[in-house]
Amino acid sequence: MTAGVRFRAGADLGRAADLDLRGWLVDPVRGREAPGDIVIREGRIESITWREGADAAGIDDRGVVVAPGFTDLHAHLREPGNEAAETIASGLAAAAHGGFTTVCAMPNTTPPIDRAAMVASVAAAAVASGSPVRLLQVGAATAGRAGEQLAELGELANAGVVGFSDDGSPIQRAELLRNALAYAGMLGLPIIDHPEDLSQTTGAEAHDGLVATVLGLRGWPVAAESSAVARDIEILAEVVRDVPGARLHLTHLSTGASIGHVRAAKAAGLPVTCDVTPHHLALTDEWLAGSRRWAWLALDDQGRARDPWRDRVLEVDPYDTALRVNPPLRSAVDARACLEGLLDGTVDAVATDHAPHSQVDKDVEFGVARPGIAGIETALGLLLEAVDAGLLPLARAIEALTVGPAHVLGRVAAAPGLVEGSPADLVVFDRGARWTVSPRALSSGGWGNPLLGRSLSAPVLLTIAGGRVAWEHADGQDVNERVGEPA
Amino acid sequence: MGSLLAAREGGAEGSPAETSAERERAWPHRHLLDTDVLTWPQVELVLDTADVMAEIVARRRPRSEAMRGVGLTNLFYEASTRTRVSFEVAAKHLSADVVNVSVTGSSIEKGESLLDTMRTLESLGTRVLVIRHATSGAPYLIAREFQGSVVNAGDGRHGHPTQALLDLYTLRGHVPDGSLRGRKVVILGDVLHSRVARSNLWTLTAAGADVWLCGPATLLRGFDAWAAAGVGGERRFTVTSDVTAALRDADAVMALRLQQERMAAGLLPSLHEYAARFGLTAERLRLAREGCLVLHPGPMNEGVEIAPGVAKGRRSLVREQVANGVAIRMAVLSLLTSVAGAGHP
Repeated sequence: MTAGVRFRAGADLGRAADLDLRGWLVDPVRGREAPGDIVIREGRIESITWREGADAAGIDDRGVVVAPGFTDLHAHLREPGNEAAETIASGLAAAAHGGFTTVCAMPNTTPPIDRAAMVASVAAAAVASGSPVRLLQVGAATAGRAGEQLAELGELANAGVVGFSDDGSPIQRAELLRNALAYAGMLGLPIIDHPEDLSQTTGAEAHDGLVATVLGLRGWPVAAESSAVARDIEILAEVVRDVPGARLHLTHLSTGASIGHVRAAKAAGLPVTCDVTPHHLALTDEWLAGSRRWAWLALDDQGRARDPWRDRVLEVDPYDTALRVNPPLRSAVDARACLEGLLDGTVDAVATDHAPHSQVDKDVEFGVARPGIAGIETALGLLLEAVDAGLLPLARAIEALTVGPAHVLGRVAAAPGLVEGSPADLVVFDRGARWTVSPRALSSGGWGNPLLGRSLSAPVLLTIAGGRVAWEHADGQDVNERVGEPA
Repeated sequence: MGSLLAAREGGAEGSPAETSAERERAWPHRHLLDTDVLTWPQVELVLDTADVMAEIVARRRPRSEAMRGVGLTNLFYEASTRTRVSFEVAAKHLSADVVNVSVTGSSIEKGESLLDTMRTLESLGTRVLVIRHATSGAPYLIAREFQGSVVNAGDGRHGHPTQALLDLYTLRGHVPDGSLRGRKVVILGDVLHSRVARSNLWTLTAAGADVWLCGPATLLRGFDAWAAAGVGGERRFTVTSDVTAALRDADAVMALRLQQERMAAGLLPSLHEYAARFGLTAERLRLAREGCLVLHPGPMNEGVEIAPGVAKGRRSLVREQVANGVAIRMAVLSLLTSVAGAGHP
């Protein structure tokens, strides 16, 4: 045995975890990573032993990794209203499969989560699902997400929401955004904005670039995002003078211009945070034309986007609606800028924007397909592709999935860590193995996935949320390092 | 090439060496979704086949048996007269069993998905599906699952491959050596929204033509970057809003239809201003070479993108384009249905 998971008792889903872990431990709260053992008894971390010298032999960061459970700042669970695409139960199961132990659910359900009673009903559904994964709710910023007047932000705050967002229907009226920032700031909660100037994106289908031009798709310009980011930041700069608690979180940034605005705002000391998605880091608009190479392979030596036609890398049919997403997949240059933002701390977190849709909404013409990638189960795999490519340190990837989002939520003190005596909240994945993305392998109810049929790095062996087993790899056969069976 | 068709029609010209495997190598495509996937020999194969078809069309009773018993459906989600009728006539000349389906409004409004409509037509015996759709890429969606052949008759802004092939065929018939190599061909007008322009870019650059795209800056959005990258990552073309530079010494000009809704979208001030600055007038045409060929995919807004005198002038090939469309579509249909397994239940 070099590293792995040894179960001591039955580890049925939802049962208190009782097991011994050995592998490469990553503790982003304390900034430590090294070989070690974790003993979990009745859901609590009984002991953590960091191995050194000869004891550490044979265990490295290329095998079984143990890290705190991930937090997703941005997921769509579709319940209530669109249970054909996802339910809270299937969404939380997918989250657990992805290594997530905490999920922030976006409020754009039908009806939207714009009143306190709605928060309670979602929380009840989460409990009923039996999943140990924590569901945190984001409340709507405006009533009905209509962008006309504020939702009852104070009542929503009392009901436990962690922030406010109109997400896919971003607030267009600058004056209302100003008021939302101030009012939410008074409550100590962030406004989470999906930055998009809708007047620039009417009917937009794809990143406004070469691929859209060639495929005849209506362009979604970089400026439609970056100008909204600039607007938000300038308003924040004024609001924060009156309301020191005002906070702005910009979600799923996709362009280098946006990252640049946030970098400058942070340098100026403004209370702004942001996240990027795994798909905007790893995929590009080339994929719409049929390329399937990672974003970092689509750059030339000078950092310019390569031409997939010249490179003859168009290997599958174009117009895969699984790739229709908002904001759209960008150029390789933008993807690299997002990665650089993640490396230098401009980007605080990686969030999935898990956006499942039913077959009815996806198996249609590209321009008719609903935008969204159901990516919560492939997020870790995509990030680890960047890690494997030597572009992203493993510790930074873990940080962006754990303490990064906790910082955004203002819950650093409660950040999940590897702490003796506390309930186990962690993920175990195996970098020595790969898994193939297939409908059977996925727990989400969402139809289609751009990675179907592809092999990804590091299957999640085990996810433990709040001391209870949330995900357990079903088949030990193809995971070499896994040892032991339920005793 | 004529031998292939003659052989399939029971003629005597088919050489023994022409096995189905060789035909497959020459024409491997079960669908025609755009011109981008055609190699130059395959483009030439279509044009040469169209020559044979034109002979059939010229007969007193044009009839080939190439598609006897093959069900072909024209599935049109956009209003179209000339393209739909052209496909219908072509298919009838080949003895196909033709059904026309026009769907007004989107499939969403109609309440049935495009794939379900396709499956219904497939169950009803359609082996060749000719589709016109307002959404770029729609033919690719159905080609993924359809058992027979799909022909793109125009999808959104993306492609209109039979139009590009008939344009090339028409031009080829009017240049001295039948080659467009080095010839200056100008596509003038609303390039941004034009599937005709996009499909023509692939074939005209493959033919070696010196292609110029000209129009207002708002209707050329993104094309400078494509020109810099080259078609297929290599074949260059020129983009300009300078209509004088574009037309100077041109060998051929293709004017594109301008839709009224471009004004409402804020892309253009007025039809009047467009006609004044970019309309293909007799005066502008004098910048071009003597005998410059004039094309238009139709339908024309005479007096807007093209002056009536030019549209019906001596050098206008517009009517010939329409006539050639039938021969090209016959060629495409017969090639597609010659691919093993396609077109035959």
